[in-house]
Amino acid sequence: MNKLIKYGMILALFTATACTDLDLTPKSTTTADVLFQDESAYRAFLARVYAGLAVTGQAGPAGAADISSLDEGFSNYLRQYWQFQELTTDEAVIAWGDEGLADLHNQNWTDANQFVRAIYYRVFFQVSMANEFLRETTAEKLDSRGVSEATRTDVQAYRAEARFLRALSYWHGMDLFGDIPFYTEEQAIGSDAPRQASRDEVFAFLESELLAIENDMIPAGQNEYGRADRAALWMLQAKLYLNAEVYTGTGRYADALTAAKKVIDSGVFSLDEDYDNLFLTDNHNSPELIFAIPFDGESTQTWGGMTYLIHAPVGGSMDPVNYGINGGWFGLRTTSALVDLFPSESDDIDDRANFYTDGQSKEINSISNFGDGYAIVKFQNVSSEGEPGSDLDHGDADYPMFRLADAYLMYAEAAVRGAGGGDLATAVNYINALRMRAYGDNTGNITQADLDEDFILNERARELYWEAHRRTDLIRFGQFTENGIWPWKGGVKEGTTTESFRNVLPIPASEILANPNLSQNRGY
Amino acid sequence: MKLNLDMLTKGLLFVGLLLMSQSLLAQRDISGQITDAETGEPLIGANILIVGTSTGTVTDFDGNYSLTLPEGNTELEASYTGYASKSITVGSESVVNIQLSAGELLDEVVVIGYGSVKKDDATGAVNAVDDKDFNKGVIVSPDQLITGKVAGVQVSKNSGEPGGGTSIRIRGGTSINAGNEPLFVIDGVPIDNNGNPGTRNPLNFINPNDIATFTVLKDASATAIYGSRGANGVIIITTKRGSAGSPSRLTYDGSYTTSNIIDDLPVLSPEAFRNVVTFVAPNRLEKLGSANTNWFEEVTRPATGQNHNLSFTGGAEDIGYRVSVGYQALEGVIETSKTERTTIGLNYNHSLLDDDLNININLKGAFTKDRFDQGLGASWYFDPTQPVRDPANTAFGGFFEYGVGLAPRNPVSGNEQIDATGRSFRTLGNIEFDYKLNTLLPGLSAKLNLGYDANNGRAATFTPTTYRNKLVSDRDGEIYMENFTRTSSLLDAYLNYKRGFGQHNLEVTAGYSYQDFDAEFPQFLAYDLANDIFGTSSTNPAAEFEASNFVVQNRLISFFGRVNYGFDNRYLFTATLRRDGSTRFGPENRWGLFPSAAFAWRILEEDFADGLRGLFSDLKLRIGYGITGNQEIGDFNYLPRYSLSDAQARYLFGTQYVTTVRPDAYDAGLKWEETASLNVGLDFGFGNGRISGILDYYQKTTNDLLFTVNVPAGTNLSDRVLTNIGKVENKGVELTLNAAAINTQDFSWDLSGNIAYNRNRILTIDQTSSAGILTGGIAGGVGNNVQILQVGQPAYAFFLFEHKLDANGLPLVDGVDHNDDGSINLADMYVDTNGDGMVNDLDKRAVANPAPDFIFGLTSSMAYKNFDLSFTLRGSLGNSVYNNSSSDGGYLNRVNERGDIFMNNIHESALVTRFNQPQYFSDYYLEDGSFLRLDNITLGYNFNQLGGRTSLRVYATANNLFLLTNYSGLDPEVGGIDNNPYPRSRAFVFGLTLGL
Repeated sequence: MNKLIKYGMILALFTATACTDLDLTPKSTTTADVLFQDESAYRAFLARVYAGLAVTGQAGPAGAADISSLDEGFSNYLRQYWQFQELTTDEAVIAWGDEGLADLHNQNWTDANQFVRAIYYRVFFQVSMANEFLRETTAEKLDSRGVSEATRTDVQAYRAEARFLRALSYWHGMDLFGDIPFYTEEQAIGSDAPRQASRDEVFAFLESELLAIENDMIPAGQNEYGRADRAALWMLQAKLYLNAEVYTGTGRYADALTAAKKVIDSGVFSLDEDYDNLFLTDNHNSPELIFAIPFDGESTQTWGGMTYLIHAPVGGSMDPVNYGINGGWFGLRTTSALVDLFPSESDDIDDRANFYTDGQSKEINSISNFGDGYAIVKFQNVSSEGEPGSDLDHGDADYPMFRLADAYLMYAEAAVRGAGGGDLATAVNYINALRMRAYGDNTGNITQADLDEDFILNERARELYWEAHRRTDLIRFGQFTENGIWPWKGGVKEGTTTESFRNVLPIPASEILANPNLSQNRGY
Repeated sequence: MKLNLDMLTKGLLFVGLLLMSQSLLAQRDISGQITDAETGEPLIGANILIVGTSTGTVTDFDGNYSLTLPEGNTELEASYTGYASKSITVGSESVVNIQLSAGELLDEVVVIGYGSVKKDDATGAVNAVDDKDFNKGVIVSPDQLITGKVAGVQVSKNSGEPGGGTSIRIRGGTSINAGNEPLFVIDGVPIDNNGNPGTRNPLNFINPNDIATFTVLKDASATAIYGSRGANGVIIITTKRGSAGSPSRLTYDGSYTTSNIIDDLPVLSPEAFRNVVTFVAPNRLEKLGSANTNWFEEVTRPATGQNHNLSFTGGAEDIGYRVSVGYQALEGVIETSKTERTTIGLNYNHSLLDDDLNININLKGAFTKDRFDQGLGASWYFDPTQPVRDPANTAFGGFFEYGVGLAPRNPVSGNEQIDATGRSFRTLGNIEFDYKLNTLLPGLSAKLNLGYDANNGRAATFTPTTYRNKLVSDRDGEIYMENFTRTSSLLDAYLNYKRGFGQHNLEVTAGYSYQDFDAEFPQFLAYDLANDIFGTSSTNPAAEFEASNFVVQNRLISFFGRVNYGFDNRYLFTATLRRDGSTRFGPENRWGLFPSAAFAWRILEEDFADGLRGLFSDLKLRIGYGITGNQEIGDFNYLPRYSLSDAQARYLFGTQYVTTVRPDAYDAGLKWEETASLNVGLDFGFGNGRISGILDYYQKTTNDLLFTVNVPAGTNLSDRVLTNIGKVENKGVELTLNAAAINTQDFSWDLSGNIAYNRNRILTIDQTSSAGILTGGIAGGVGNNVQILQVGQPAYAFFLFEHKLDANGLPLVDGVDHNDDGSINLADMYVDTNGDGMVNDLDKRAVANPAPDFIFGLTSSMAYKNFDLSFTLRGSLGNSVYNNSSSDGGYLNRVNERGDIFMNNIHESALVTRFNQPQYFSDYYLEDGSFLRLDNITLGYNFNQLGGRTSLRVYATANNLFLLTNYSGLDPEVGGIDNNPYPRSRAFVFGLTLGL
């Protein structure tokens, strides 16, 4: 017995001395050394850079969140980009009482607004993901890991796409926030806070960056669905140049027209026969989509993105079953300003007028009451055949970020604004192609005399409403703040103008606090 | 594995000492009788300790004892409850009779980390509560035993759920993101106190009936021996044990409990609700049902409980043991909720090798089963004009439901159809070896403590297809199961040297500790069920599955030491040092050093204090300073890592859903949070000890807070990163007073009170700004926060608008252009505090503190002949509560805000405020949460003359008999934001204790 105890203690002590190892490794997550031994990890990492547009964390629909300054469901890229492009305009209002949400339509947001924070951090999360991807795929890293030739070829395109996605987010960031922090893969994690770059500087970077990666991008129409190709890049170029006057003071309409023309002339894309099908669960089959954010009811779940866009507009007397969902969220409607752009309140004349009016009033007395303002039936979780999506919570429809109709409209706008290299007759043809589809015949067609800047702005609203273009469009046409009135703009029922400093958002207070290199935008 | 040379040396030394000492043993037997000095009657159960060791024995029925005195030991110490201890130096005699005198101060011993110390010699702020002072009544988790008993220790059970969780704050919170709970050490084993799926309180595995003492280490000089885990204080729990030679004794304690809801919910009755609908939404009148349902009544019940404990204590020569079994079942006052626990406890101690080797074994095991209600939350606002059941509605199991996902759910349907349970089996065991090495060096002993803690269990929820689940989650019936397995292993090895040299007393402790924690959490969700036959027992009916697993591991390796030095019983010095290595930090910051020093001065021992001795019976000044740490964060936050996406967060490339990988944010330089604290205390006694007290002042500054803060975009891989930044301070004063107010033959009355003041401030978040971080999410909307972490304010200060009041003192109603500026906006209701002409987020102010300024407790114990009566009063002052149930339910438009389909009941406050829309950020909802509660009151009767050693006591206890507060909600003790927690009940307990 005594010996047993003695030897037991000795044994225990030796066990203890042997166990002084504090170098544990993570079990359910992993490190780069381990991860990239499998070359498919590069593709998985690229998918994550894309997925930043769609998901909010590594667990769907929520969990292991990417950013944590606010509710995870609110932190979705598409949801917040959409909200700032739409809720701040005549195209959308929302009923809910979430803190700061009403400020968007009222145009009285502050730098403490949680949604400002959400889109800001989302944009730069994307930039940081793309940068990290670029850091992990340098030639040196690939050499040191002995990566195969086949994978190296893929990685070349991957890197171009990561830079494209970074450019896309920098464009969003510059468009929303003006002068923004600027950093690339050169600045490692843990380095000093980035400096603030002017819009001019970011514009110049984006212009050169898109040119630099063009040839590494996979040719138009030849990439896998979900990944960007050269046409997506041309669309981004067209957007950048079309708004160049806002960003730099110098119009670049000819360049915008050239880029749009490349898309159109690629011959890869054609208008979908039925406008309504562009927003349904089988829209991945649409020949019109140039770049989409894919969502899936089972495999790509989120509380933002399409889940938000198919639930939030449903309420009142709308039967959720008709929209392929298990229940409406009683949130989004539109103002009479959008309704009045259409020839009638139903789609009997213009197929694009997808208003739901039963039990809804056209004018809004109280934004928080779902019954005030017409609802809109656009994004739905049903197929063009009327079949519901795979999940009644999370939709299957993909988000059409860039589609051919927008290229037509950008071409037309650039032409109207006097860009060289295009002609107005072609522009009219493009517009009429959209209107033929909308009206079903040529009764809605226009002539060259009808085509002016106002018409373009209004036609963009008719064609592209609720597709996250409106705020940028209104600013380009000088109608967002000092000019332009719609119901409840500025927090007043009839609408009122607001100060021009609201053309850009404030940099969030938390960021101003964290990064001493940044100065707040004027007016905030 | 790496061999640490330092460790190896220590280990070999230890083993060497053991081997050498073996051959040097010699001892002799001593026996005798211990009697009362006045009456000469034998004292039964008196303790005899061999000084300089931890071995001893207890006298038998005739006051006799016998023990073996090891070579080199000549001093015995005899002690008996209510008698002064006495030390005897043994000469050559083998019979030593000792007489003890009653009525003098006891020489109490308090447990400190890795040892114990005479209370008189303690230098730190250490408070012990033993079983006779424990709270009575319905108690599931052991921490409730000391609620209100210790100054500066706030034990809050923030709901009335049976077995529900508690939060414990010792002298305020030192941290923001690294946890503020103290470290629990049970019989020498620091335990993992994290919550687990399907369990309510991780401490529930300990049967309160098995606990002998709670010792609370409050200041850094006491807790620094626990280094990186000591910053929030340490609670040491010692369980009951048997002692060698003690007579065997069987004790049964059983009780029966009934508990009842105290108040109804402040929502509208069916009649009032109809009136409001008539007023607010007359067009919706036809949507009202014809029933009159009190939903709260539908989900509540009078609850019962029972508790049985059987223990057997005994001893033989050299052996002591205690075996206990316990069973507790307690229903909650909300239908279906309950907790059930079966425990076993085993203690065995054995002295071997002529008392040189003492082995002490503890084993505890508990099987807990919980069931969770599914109806309380929904019962608040469900339309009271709708019926509970709708037999035609078979799709929803015959319950009334709206067929809409956003609509409220029928609370009774949830309770009756959803089966949400949890169970866990946890066992904690340790074996301690204490080996005296007197032959090697008098006063030297070696100790080894090997412990393990294994906890596993699962949460399981079955939702049948007839529940409205499909509307909400698109899952047609589901089975959810989440398992957990947590294990921890411990090895402590240390040497203790204790010896007196004339006026000098020296004790040195030095050792090594290793503790490893592993956990695994597999879970699955199975849904779209073909039928509801099997509950959670089979997943075969499920068409769809989601599953995940997660594994964590961390480890702590430490070296520690302590020196106690006393001079002439007047001056006492303590110095401790701990070096902790933790896997939670990177190689550069892995090791932390935590020192402390303390000094105590027993003033009455001084010659110049002669004049004070008449007034004071005790007077001791204590000063201590130390640095402690906090490492309660997740693992690997220092390491660049990649996380894989789950099956629901993949991304489509072509036709393939790609599982993605994400690089996670990290801070490579992460390190400990450090709290530097100063404690100045005075222990005093008057009137020959009839009145005694403790006064303490402390100041704690926590530096390099482990704080998740926003970092500049571009410098990391997320918007917020856990890093070391900021500083928090806690300052306070504590006073404890004990009085033996009356002490006569037939009647005695003891009073014990404590009061503590604490002031918490965030000193810095970074170097530059006063902006804050919003926190404190509420019910209502998404992402709405009502608290802030702001420099200069207490942590979690409420951050709200100032609501303008009308002539009657009521808040201005919304939707009215009060300021006649032509538009209706926030400026109509709220004060433009920054004077910029408009009201927006920038006008919110940090206005109040959820933590109290003062907490206090008063315990009274009276005994008259065979009767005893005791009670505990407890309260707090200066804490504010945000009434979220009122803000979320108190607006008229709530009745019909979601279109045509359903209506909601509203909070009664809407009838007063007349708010149309919710005003979540109004300071109208901020209320004073000060309270005074009668936690428990007990009346007992002891039967005597039952013959032999039989004892019997019967008692009745009432819990929560009254609550005094100005708070308008159900209960202010909710942790700051009143978000409709499980309501507290009033309970009556009837029990008996039988000893044989």
